[in-house]
Amino acid sequence: MNGRLAQASIYGIAGTALFLLLASGFLLAIGRPPFVTLVTMAGYAFGDGYSISESLVKATPILLCAFAVILPARLGLISVGGEGQLYLGALAGTAIVVGYPGGPMFALLPAMVALGAGGGAIWGGLAGVLRARFDVNETISTLLLNYIAVLLVNYAVYGAWKDPASLGWPATIQFPPAATVPSLLGTRVHLGFIVALIAAFVLHVVVTYTRWGLELRILAGNRKVGAMVGLRFARNTLIVMALGGALAGFAGICETAAIQGRLQSGLSVGYGLTGFLVAWLSGQHFLRAVPIAILVGGLIAAGDALQLYSKIPSASATVLQGLLFAAALAASGLAARREARRG
Amino acid sequence: MLRSSTPLLVVTLGETLTQRVGIINLGVEGQMLGGACTGFAVAAATGDPLLGFAAGAGAGIVLSTVHAILCLVCGANQIGSGIAVWTLGLGLTSYFGRAFIGGKVTGLGALGGPTVADIPLLGPILNQLTPLAPAALILVAAAGLWLYRTSTGLNWRIVGESFETARAIGLAPLFVQLQGIIVGGLLSGFAGAILSVDYTQTWANDMTKGRGFVAVGLVIVARWNPFFVLPVVLIFGLSEAATLRLQAGGLTLSPYLIGCLPYVVCLLCVVVASMREDRIGGMPAELASVFGRRQRAR
Repeated sequence: MNGRLAQASIYGIAGTALFLLLASGFLLAIGRPPFVTLVTMAGYAFGDGYSISESLVKATPILLCAFAVILPARLGLISVGGEGQLYLGALAGTAIVVGYPGGPMFALLPAMVALGAGGGAIWGGLAGVLRARFDVNETISTLLLNYIAVLLVNYAVYGAWKDPASLGWPATIQFPPAATVPSLLGTRVHLGFIVALIAAFVLHVVVTYTRWGLELRILAGNRKVGAMVGLRFARNTLIVMALGGALAGFAGICETAAIQGRLQSGLSVGYGLTGFLVAWLSGQHFLRAVPIAILVGGLIAAGDALQLYSKIPSASATVLQGLLFAAALAASGLAARREARRG
Repeated sequence: MLRSSTPLLVVTLGETLTQRVGIINLGVEGQMLGGACTGFAVAAATGDPLLGFAAGAGAGIVLSTVHAILCLVCGANQIGSGIAVWTLGLGLTSYFGRAFIGGKVTGLGALGGPTVADIPLLGPILNQLTPLAPAALILVAAAGLWLYRTSTGLNWRIVGESFETARAIGLAPLFVQLQGIIVGGLLSGFAGAILSVDYTQTWANDMTKGRGFVAVGLVIVARWNPFFVLPVVLIFGLSEAATLRLQAGGLTLSPYLIGCLPYVVCLLCVVVASMREDRIGGMPAELASVFGRRQRAR
């Protein structure tokens, strides 16, 4: 066991080194000193209280979208639908705010959050139904549903929900205070982050120690054996997809209500895709996803800061994410291959 | 319609060939973006659309090599690797593509010219097409004939059906899979360049808008058969064109709702194809483990 752990950390270190090498190569290619830039980025990500809070703000939707990948992965499904579920959650949650902007907080806030989670659950559940009922590959359906969800939000904010006072900017009305997710200690970090941490813990306990978690493991390992002992793949597919979707939808409505204050086009900067990356880096593990999401959230926050102060476009953060993903896949792939060879 | 469908036709053909050797590559989306951006840049700099197409295909090859290294050398998961390639393509093109936003290039000239314009029926059609559409049709037919009528095509099909059998009869299956990925990269990059240089003649961030993923879906609908790629893509394009016609005919719908249509149609096609999966078959057996239909064979 110890040897295996040591081996895993060797590949972890090798993966990190490979990423730093690739990242330096990219920074050199765009004419930036790699070492200085990387240190500056670390400073922008976690250098002071404000940077840390900005990193946590970014980490919140990323972490929730990672859960929307990890939970289906526990059943052996590969969902890339976090982005679409996030958008649909934002859309569904906003509906009640646009409909009853004057509602009292005790009714409006819970209804908004519930609808947001419900919207995400429907979008995730749709891919789940298609997989369970018609054997449609969930990776392809979630990828296509992402594009549809983004267009549906555009349809709403360019159309019926557009605030006439926003002077042509495609966005809904400003959310009233009664529909604002509370923030923590006067920072921009909001309650969604705490919910995500609790969700990480609860989901980890549930999939590790409960009967249902065992059920998922059996079905993921061998569906035929699962069916023989009376486990239902179809029903569990629907559950994990809908539950994962609910978490991503919750992320969407939190991002809308707490950070941006209104539903607007382009509400997510690829949080769903980044969540997918985090889920894979964590080895589809709920607790390990937390620190990784915070680190990657820091990378994105630093990308924003770089754009502001050093005029490096934030698209460079997307490139760095891609390099990080490639390095991690290379390292973990080689590790698994080595493991298999040892038998 | 044939003109707007050409990029999708070429990228779907490329993904079909890649999947025939038992490799799924979701990175086609990123490779198309790479091809579109590089192709546009080169065409704008040199003024020669042909050089643009070549550069686009080259960019597709480079990005697909990343997929090949991750899957074949490192043994990484194919879906994960494809998403990584997509992320790289998206990031790199939106980084380096900033300089080209708002630019314009001239694509290839129309096929016809004044001499054929007077031919009834055929004239107007030819005048809308550039040489790329017929070239793509020939490419599809050639790929189909090659896959089913030549011995190297047979080798590719063997690798896609059973990696182990291919090894046992002395083929080099890893090398064949590498070729499959590279050919898919070449065609997806070419398709991206057709989109930016010949069709829209501009470059915009994320301009492929999921066409690569639609292609992955349409491969399933076309039953991994290059000959079926053409009718499937055309039916798909027809449904798109029909809606635009409805729109012009007075039906008022938000452009964003109409924008959903390609994805909805693609999804419905995949649903129908997947429902009948067991009866029609056609999926290369090596893909089944990636799609999670059967237990892992290896």
